[in-house]
Amino acid sequence: MTALAHEPHRPTQTHAEVTRDILGTLKTPSRGYYLALFGAVAMFLVGLFTFTMLLKEGLGLAGYTPPVMWSVYITTFVFWIGIGHAGTLISAILFLFRSPWRTAVYRSTEAMTVFAVMTAALFPIIHIGRQWIFYWLLPYPNARFLWPNFKSPLLWDVFAITTYFTVSTTFLIVGLIPDVAAIRDKVSGWRHTIYKLAALGWTGANSQWRHYTRGYLYLAALATPLVLSVHSVVSWDFAMSIIPGWHGTIFAPYFVAGAIYSGIGMVLTLLIPLRKVLHLEHMITDYHFDNLGKLTLLTGSILFYAYAMEYFVAWYSGNIFEQTTFWRRAFGPMWWAGWSMIICNAFVSQLLWFRKIRTNLTSLFIISLFINLGMWFERFVIIASSLSNDYDPYAWSNPAITWADWGILIGSFGWFLMYFLLFARTFPVVAIQEIKEMIPYPRKHTGGH
Amino acid sequence: MTVRPVITRDQGSEDRDQGASPELSPLTADLSRRRFLTVLGVAGAGSAALSGCSTAKVEKLIPYLVQSEDQVPGIPTWYASTCTECSAGCGVHVKTREARAIKLEGNPEHPVNAGTLCQRGQAALQGLYNPGRIKGPLQKQRGAFQSLLWDEAIGRLAQQFQNARGKVAVISGAGPGSFDDLLAAWTQAQGGRLIRYQPFDRAPERAANLRVFGLDELPLYDFATARYIVSFGADFLETWGPVIEQQRGFAQSHGFNGKSMARHVYAGPRMDLTAMNADEWHPLLPGSEASLALGMAGVILGERTTAPQDANALAASLAAYTPEKVAQDTGLTPDAIRKLAREFVSAAPSLAVAGGIGAQHRGAVDLCAAVAILNYVAGNVGQTVRFGAGLPKPDGYAAMQQLIAAMNAGEVTAVLVHDANPLYALPRSARFAEAFAKLPFKASTSLFLDETAAACDLLLPAHHALERWDDLRPRAGVLGLMQPVMTPVFDTLAPGDVLLRAAQKTPDLKAQFPAPSFEAHLKQKWAELARSRGAADTEQFWRDALQHGGIFNGAVATPPAVRLVPTVPTVLTAPSFDGDGELILLPVPSSMYFDGRGANRPWLLENPDPVTKITWGSWAELNPETARRLDVREGEIIRVTSPHGSIDVPVYVYPGVRPDVVAIPLGLGHTEFGEYAKGLGVNPLDLLGAGSVEGFLPYVATRVSIATTLGFHKLAKTEGNPRQLGRHIAEAMPLAHAEQGYTVEESLKQVGEEEHAVNTAREAEAIAGFRASQVEKTKLGAYAEELPKWGMVIDLAKCTGCSACVTACYAENNIPWVGYDNVTRGREMSWMRIERYFEGGVEPGEPFAARVVPMLCQHCDNAPCEPVCPVYAAYHTADGLNGQVYNRCVGTRYCSNNCPYKVRYFNWFPFAKRAFQAPLDLQLNPDVTVRARGVMEKCTFCVQRIRGAQHQARLEDRPLADGDVRTACQQACPSGAIVFGNVKDPESRVVRAAEDHREYHVLGELNVRPSVTYLAKVQA
Amino acid sequence: MARKPVPGVLASFTQVDAATEAITGLKARGFRDLTVYTAAPNHEIEDALKEPVSWVRLFTLIGGLTGVTAGFAMTIWMSRDWPLLVGGKPIAAIPPYVVIAFELTILYGALSTCAGMLILSLAKSLKGRPYHPRFSDDRIGIFVPCAPEQTGAVRSLLTQAGSEEVTVHGA
Repeated sequence: MTALAHEPHRPTQTHAEVTRDILGTLKTPSRGYYLALFGAVAMFLVGLFTFTMLLKEGLGLAGYTPPVMWSVYITTFVFWIGIGHAGTLISAILFLFRSPWRTAVYRSTEAMTVFAVMTAALFPIIHIGRQWIFYWLLPYPNARFLWPNFKSPLLWDVFAITTYFTVSTTFLIVGLIPDVAAIRDKVSGWRHTIYKLAALGWTGANSQWRHYTRGYLYLAALATPLVLSVHSVVSWDFAMSIIPGWHGTIFAPYFVAGAIYSGIGMVLTLLIPLRKVLHLEHMITDYHFDNLGKLTLLTGSILFYAYAMEYFVAWYSGNIFEQTTFWRRAFGPMWWAGWSMIICNAFVSQLLWFRKIRTNLTSLFIISLFINLGMWFERFVIIASSLSNDYDPYAWSNPAITWADWGILIGSFGWFLMYFLLFARTFPVVAIQEIKEMIPYPRKHTGGH
Repeated sequence: MTVRPVITRDQGSEDRDQGASPELSPLTADLSRRRFLTVLGVAGAGSAALSGCSTAKVEKLIPYLVQSEDQVPGIPTWYASTCTECSAGCGVHVKTREARAIKLEGNPEHPVNAGTLCQRGQAALQGLYNPGRIKGPLQKQRGAFQSLLWDEAIGRLAQQFQNARGKVAVISGAGPGSFDDLLAAWTQAQGGRLIRYQPFDRAPERAANLRVFGLDELPLYDFATARYIVSFGADFLETWGPVIEQQRGFAQSHGFNGKSMARHVYAGPRMDLTAMNADEWHPLLPGSEASLALGMAGVILGERTTAPQDANALAASLAAYTPEKVAQDTGLTPDAIRKLAREFVSAAPSLAVAGGIGAQHRGAVDLCAAVAILNYVAGNVGQTVRFGAGLPKPDGYAAMQQLIAAMNAGEVTAVLVHDANPLYALPRSARFAEAFAKLPFKASTSLFLDETAAACDLLLPAHHALERWDDLRPRAGVLGLMQPVMTPVFDTLAPGDVLLRAAQKTPDLKAQFPAPSFEAHLKQKWAELARSRGAADTEQFWRDALQHGGIFNGAVATPPAVRLVPTVPTVLTAPSFDGDGELILLPVPSSMYFDGRGANRPWLLENPDPVTKITWGSWAELNPETARRLDVREGEIIRVTSPHGSIDVPVYVYPGVRPDVVAIPLGLGHTEFGEYAKGLGVNPLDLLGAGSVEGFLPYVATRVSIATTLGFHKLAKTEGNPRQLGRHIAEAMPLAHAEQGYTVEESLKQVGEEEHAVNTAREAEAIAGFRASQVEKTKLGAYAEELPKWGMVIDLAKCTGCSACVTACYAENNIPWVGYDNVTRGREMSWMRIERYFEGGVEPGEPFAARVVPMLCQHCDNAPCEPVCPVYAAYHTADGLNGQVYNRCVGTRYCSNNCPYKVRYFNWFPFAKRAFQAPLDLQLNPDVTVRARGVMEKCTFCVQRIRGAQHQARLEDRPLADGDVRTACQQACPSGAIVFGNVKDPESRVVRAAEDHREYHVLGELNVRPSVTYLAKVQA
Repeated sequence: MARKPVPGVLASFTQVDAATEAITGLKARGFRDLTVYTAAPNHEIEDALKEPVSWVRLFTLIGGLTGVTAGFAMTIWMSRDWPLLVGGKPIAAIPPYVVIAFELTILYGALSTCAGMLILSLAKSLKGRPYHPRFSDDRIGIFVPCAPEQTGAVRSLLTQAGSEEVTVHGA
C-alpha cells in the first residue's frame, strides 16, 4: 500500500477525490449485493418463522433442559450486545483519545453497533415465557400502579440497553448530518429531496460547526462511560446471582473486555470484505488493520487472564461448588464448548503478536471468524454450562440445542446483516467530513495546485 | 387438621341405568357452565330419591332453586368411603367441591391407614376420571364394539348365563364384602364357579403357615413394636401386605425416637425401596434366604434363649443348618450369621418377614416356612406375628389354571370377569388368552378397556368405587363402607345392580334375589348386622357407620393358640430355574403400577420409581459388573430371552442388584388399557413359565440370556446425578452418635470429615451481623404485624421415599404431568420431589446404600429467587411464604436460575391443556389456579389450605390452632415424617420437632435461611 | 428561495490561507456577521473567526443532573408506592438504584446535548444567505452581508485575498 510512512493515517487524496470516492460507494449496487441482501432477508425470515412457532407452541420448542433455564437465546443476546461495544469504543473512546486511525473505520463500526444493539434488544422479548407482555418490565403507570422491581438486574438491563441504543443511534445520526449534506449537494432528483430532508438544512456554516464540534465532543464523552457500564450491567445479570460460575467479582471488566474483543472480531469480519467490495483500499489501509489487530491482541490477552483467574479463584476458594463447576467446564459433558471458548479466545488471539499476521487480511479474516465463534461459545459456556451443574446434583441436566435455537440464531444474523447492507448502500460507510478534516486545504504560499 | 363435616349421603345415585344423558357426558367438552350446573343439579338431586331418568335430571338443571343441604358452592363436602386400589382396604375421606370428587385423603379413624394415603390411593381419582373408561354398555359385533342400552346388555348377560347354566365361571378381584357375598350366591345360583383372583397373592405364606402351624391363613405383622426387623425379600414398604400400615409401623419403630430405634436387615437379591431403608443389606442369591432363616433359628435354639418348649423338637433337624453350612449357601460369614441370630433374639420382640413377589421362587414355601420357624423360635408369634386376623384368602393361581383347563375342555362356556385382568396378569405361557377366546360368551364389568375387556363379547362397565355403594371386610374387625360421592361420570352401573337385575331377568332366580337395587340389598345386610350387634336403631347404626366410613371396633376373633405341627419338615431343596441363561430374571413389583392396574394413571406413570427414579417406561436393572461384561450402557436396549419368550428393554445400570440377576419391573407393557398404558414399556411376565408350585405362580423361576441390540431408548429419569458429591444434602449419622445427641456437624467430625463451614471466624461474625440486619428488615411495612410464619420439619429418619407425598401434591395443586418427552428434558413439574442419593458401592466390596430427601420450595427468608424477578412476581408474603404471582409472571425464569434448590418449575408448553383433558379436568381443585404456559410455578406450602383454615377459624371466631393447617404432603405421608406449622408459636409441633440435635438446613451455608428444617437420618 | 435574500457578497476559496486572510481582513474592517462555509471543521478558520466557546456543555450539564435526580426519584418513589419485601432487602435499596440513576444520567445528558446543538445552531438564522453545493465538497465559502454601497470594497478585498470567484448577492 502507498500509505505515507510518517503519517500513515492521512489519506493522500484531495477533498474532491474523497467526496467522489466515498459517494462512489453509493452508486447502483451490483448483483452480488442483491444476492447478499436476499440471503440476509431469507435468514431473517427463518428467524421470524421460528419466533411465530414459539408464540404458537411455547418456549419448550427450544432446547431448555431445566435447571438450564437460560440457554441459546440469552447467549446470543449477550453475544450481540458485546458486538456493539467495539463500535462505541472506536467511535467515542478513540475519538476522545484523538487516535487518528479511527477516522476511516468508525462510521461502519458505529453502524454495526446500532444494528447489533437492535438485534440484541429482540432477545429479552423472544426468550421470556409470555412474550406478549414483555412491556410489563417497563415502569409505565398501569391501571393498578404495579411498578417493576428495580432491584432486579434484568431491570438494569432494560435501562442500560434502551439508553445504549438511544445514545449510539443519536451519535450515529449526528455524525451523519454533514455527510448527508454532502450527498445532497451531489445527487439530483428524488434522491436529492430525500437527502435534503435528512440533512436538516446543514450548510457547514461556521455558526453550525461551532456547536456541532462541541456537542459531538460531549456525546463522545457521555458514550464512553456508557459503553463501559452497559456490558458491566449485562455481566451483573449473572454476577448478582448465586450460581457458581456466575457469582464472580471480575465479571464486569471481564465481560467488557470480552465484548470489545468480540466486537472487533465482528468489525474485521465485516470490514475486510466491505473494503474490497466498495474499493476503499486507499482509505482503510493495513495501518488500520494493524491497529485493530493490536486492540484484539490486548483484549484477547485480558480474556486469557480472566479465564486463568476464574480457574485460579475456583481452586483457591476451596469452595466445592465453584470447583465442580469449573472442573466440569473443562472435563464435563460440555467440554467441547469449554475448550472451543478457551482455544478461540485465549489462544488464537495470541497469534496477533506477529505483525505479519496482523497485516495479512486473509489470516486476519480467519482469526476474526474464530473470535466470533469463540465469543459465542464463551457466553454459552458461562450461561448454560454453569446452570447445568449448580448446587443440587439431583437436579443437574445436560443442555440441548434444538432447531428452534438454531432458527432464532440464524434469524438474528439475518436481521443484523439486512440492516447493515441497507446502510452501506444508503450512507457513506466512511465519514466524509472527518476524512476531509485530516486533509489540509491547499495553500497559496506553499503553492498548492 | 381442619374441621371436616363428614356427611352421610342417602340413596345417592341409584338406578342411573338410563344414565348419562348427552349433556352429562364430560366428553362433550371441558367443564362448560351448562355441564357444571348439570352435575351440580344432579348431585343436589341425590337426597331426593328419584329414579334417575333423564327428565328428572333436566328438572334439576336449575340448581339451588331448592338448596341441597350438603352442597354449598365454594365449601368442600367430605364423604367417608373405602379405597379399593389394593386389598388393604384403607379408609378414605373424599373431598368434593360443587359435586365433584377432587381429592382423596386418609380416614383418621380407620385402623389400617390412620388418616394417611399412599400414591395409588391418591391416584384413584385418575381412575374415576380416566379418559380410558368405558362410556357405557357395549357388545362386540363383527369384531367391533357397539353400544346398547343397559337393559339389553343385562338381558343378554342373563340369557347367556341361563343358557350356559352349569358351565358358568366368574373371575372376581373384589375383596370380601357384601358384593363378594352376593356374587358368590349369584354364581352358585348360576351353577357356576367363582374364582377370587388377586395377581399379587400371598399363597406361599399361607401354605407355609399351614405346614408349620397348621393354619391356612396370613398373620398380621406388627412392625410398630418390633425392635429388630429382618426381611427375606418381602417388600413390605412397596406391594407386600397392607403397605401403608406397615410403613406407619416401620416409621414408628425404625424412626429415631430420641433414644433408640429398631434395626432393619434386608436379605434379598435386589435393593428395593424396602432394602434402601434397611440398616444392613445382604444381597442373597434367590433361593438361599431360607437357609439363612433356618441357620438363624438353629443358632437361637442352640443357644437356648427364649425359645418355646415345643420348638426344641426342631433342634435336631435345625442342627443341620450350622452357620458354616449356611455360610456356604449364602456367602455370609458364620460369625455374621451368629451375630444376626443373637441380635434378632435379644432385641425382643423382633420380626422376620418373607413372601414378597420378589422372593416367590420355587422355594418360596420353604422360605416362608423357615421364616415362620424363625419367628416361632424367637418367640415372636403372638407378639409381632398375630394370627386370626381374618385376611382375605383369594383362590390363587392354581384355581386359574384349573379354569383354563376347564375352558379348554369346554366345561366352561360363559365367563364374567369382574375387577380382574387375567389376560394381562397371567404369564402369556399360561395360554389364558387362547382358552378365553374359545368361549362362546365372555362378559366384563371392567371400568377400562383392558386386555381382558377387549377380548370380551359384552361389556357392562361398572361404577367406580367412588360412584357406588358397597362395603369391604379387609380383615377381622374392620368393616369399611363405600358410598357414591358424585354423579357417575359415564353411563355405568354398579356391578351389584347388574347381578340383581340379571337375576330379575332370570325366571328361576327372581325369588332368590328380590332386592330392587344393590343399595337396598346392602342396607338390608347392614340392618341385619345392626340387629346382630344389638343396635336399637338400625337406621342410626347405618348413619353412624356411613359417617365414620364403617365400623372398626368389630369383634376380633381371639387369636388361636399357635403351636408347631408335630413334625415340621425343614429339608430345603434349592429352587430350580427354567432355562440355562446366565442371569436369573427378577420381576420387580412396582409400588406405582402394582399388579398393572396403575399403568393408566399419569400421576403414577410420572411419579418416579422410588429406587431408579425412572418414569414413563420399563427398564432392566443390571449390576455395573454385568453391564461391563455385556458391554452395555444405560439406555441401550437389550433382548432378554427365556425359554418362554423374549422382550426388548433398555438397560439401567444399578449397583443395588446382584451381578447374576436382571431385574425388570412388573405392571407395564399393556397391549390395551387406554392411551396412557397401551404400548408403554414391557411385561416381564412374558418371560415366565406357567407351571405352578403348591398352588402359586413362582415369579422368580427363570434364567434368561441377554443379547445386545443396536436400539437405544433414553430413560426418562428425573435424576441428574445420583451422588451427593460431598454437598451434605441428605445427611445421616450412626445410631451411636444420635444416642449421644451429636449435631450433624459433630457427627461428621467424628467420622473424620472436615468441618464444611467455609467461613473464618470474622466472616462468620460478619454473616451473623448481616443476619441480624436481615431480621430487622423483615419487619418492614406489612411485615411488622404480628403474623404467623410458616415452617416445616422433615424427619429423614422416618421418610422412606415412598413418594405418596408427590402424588398428593399433584392432586392438591393441579400440577400437570408432562409426559415422557418433557421428562427426558428434565421438565417435570413435581413441586415435591424425592431426591435419592446413592452412597458407596463404587469400589467392589464397598457397602452400597441410598438416602432420600424430599425436596420442595424451602420458602427462604433471604430467598434468592425474589429480588431477581423484574416484575415482583416472586415476593415474600407477610406470613413468611415465598409467594409466586402467576398472573404477574412474564417468564424470565431468572428466579429458577437463582434458586439453589432448583424447586421452581416452568410451563414450557400449555401443559395443563393436555394433562387435564376431559374428563380429568373434573378433578381440578377449584382453590388452586391452573397455570398458563410461560409462567413459573412452585410449592406454595398449600397456601389455599392455610387461608382455608384461617377463614374457618375466623368463622368460628377462634385463633388458628396448631395443626389446623396440614399441607397435602404432610397429610398423605404414611410415616408422619412431615410436620408443618407456625414457627412463631413456641408451643407448636413444628417448633418442638425442630428442637432436635439432628436438625440441619440443606445448603445452609448459603445463608438463604430456608423455612424447611431437616432432621438427619439415623443408621442403626 | 422565496425568502427575501440578504444583500451581500459571496466568495469562494480553494486555499485555506487565502480564506483566513480574507476573514481577518473583513473582521479588521468591522464586518462581524460573516458566514463561512467549510466541508469539515478547520482550526485555522476557527482561529481567524475568534468565536467564543459554544454553550452546548450547559445543556449537557443540566440534562445529566436532571437524569440522575429522575433516576433516584423514580426508583425510590415507585418502590415505596408498592412496598414488597424481596429477599429480605430494604424496600428502597440505594445500591441497585445507582445503576438506573447512572443510565438515566447518560440518557438525559445525551439527548439534551443534541437538543442543545440543534437549538443553538438554529438560533443563528441563515435565512436568505446564499450557499453553493461545492462548499460541501472542496471549496471554502465566505458570505459577507453588506449594504449595496459597500459591495465594491468587500469584493476587491476578497479578490485580493485570493478568492477564485466572487458574486454580489441580493439587492
